[in-house]
Amino acid sequence: MKKYLIFDSGPLINFAMNGLLPVLEKLKKDFDGDFLITKEVKSEIIDYPSTIKKYELESLQLENLLKKEIIKLGDLTEKQINELRIKRENLMNIANNTFFSNNKSIHLLDKGECAALALYQILEGEKLLVIDERTTRMLCENPENLKKLLEKKLHSKISANKKNYNFFKDFKIIRSTELAFIANKKGFIEIEDSRILDALLYALKIRGCSISEEEIEEIKKLN
Amino acid sequence: MENKFHLIKLLKEVLKSLKKEDYSKLKNLSNELVHESSIDQDPDIISVAVIIYSLSKIIERQFYKNYKEWYKFYKNYLESISRAIKNLEKNEIEEFRTEIALIRGSLKSLNGDLKEYMQDIFRKASINKASKIYEHGISMGKTAKILGISIWELAEFAGQSPSGEINLAVTLPINKRIKIAEDFFK
Repeated sequence: MKKYLIFDSGPLINFAMNGLLPVLEKLKKDFDGDFLITKEVKSEIIDYPSTIKKYELESLQLENLLKKEIIKLGDLTEKQINELRIKRENLMNIANNTFFSNNKSIHLLDKGECAALALYQILEGEKLLVIDERTTRMLCENPENLKKLLEKKLHSKISANKKNYNFFKDFKIIRSTELAFIANKKGFIEIEDSRILDALLYALKIRGCSISEEEIEEIKKLN
Repeated sequence: MENKFHLIKLLKEVLKSLKKEDYSKLKNLSNELVHESSIDQDPDIISVAVIIYSLSKIIERQFYKNYKEWYKFYKNYLESISRAIKNLEKNEIEEFRTEIALIRGSLKSLNGDLKEYMQDIFRKASINKASKIYEHGISMGKTAKILGISIWELAEFAGQSPSGEINLAVTLPINKRIKIAEDFFK
């Protein structure tokens, strides 16, 4: 069965900003499947940052990974492209009409995140999403916690259309930190120092991966 | 615009704080506005929050006053905010939005170092406000879009902000998530 690891923009940005793209390349070469992105993610990680001097180098490095087919755009038929667009809009519409404050819907997700989810739904085979940001993961894995977070942060009573939870319950998600754990375990990090896993995990957390310090400490124990 | 009266009150507070050069109060007013905007996500209101936060940073740093162009620029700012308040009071919402767009565009009229400094301050203010909205539970992609910044800028900032809600964000036991990753890479 074909395997697909589908990336949101956050983990690739995180790996790039931490100088870890060679590690991603090693992971891909060891992996029997494809590392996929959507055109929305390509725009976020390559097209747009190539216009900002601060991120130009990283965006060129990511573009190079795309040229080398370490990461690939989903190889979709015309019919699947249309299907993806419809699913993306549908998921975005559902996600953005799940939680309400004073009868007003709270817009949570954008096209990039929803396109990654849509690609996951379209592809047949073994699939896994890599998402670093918190909101999409919470909506998929524990929407009640997301409701509580919104209530706490917005200081407002939040109502939920709980039927919508079902649309997001089947996605399987990991983060850049779990990828780093695998890379370290497989010996792809060429630094021999007992502190390396700690350093990797905190570097990824600091550049946007939503992971708690407690989770980091637990991961270190699993090594 | 549902919170029009509150916005008028807040903008009047902004003018008072500017006159007193109370940058701390300005920062609080900006955060208050962002907090209230996380649901509506009205880009003009969020722009106002960015403008207020930028002004707080400008006042805090003082040295901008050494630039020749500064006083004229600052005076225009105050006048624009006063006009924006009047627009809201007369329920001229479109004119209010035009005034906010004019404030945002006023940077283009500056020259040299001051222009660069001001653009930098506005950029950093946008990222700061974006991190606040992300903290409120809106996704990174959505937040970046609302503020017109890149996910790269937001990721750097969001990762360094302390989150008090970390337990809610733990949605799967870590050993299970590691197992999913390990099985996938077998």
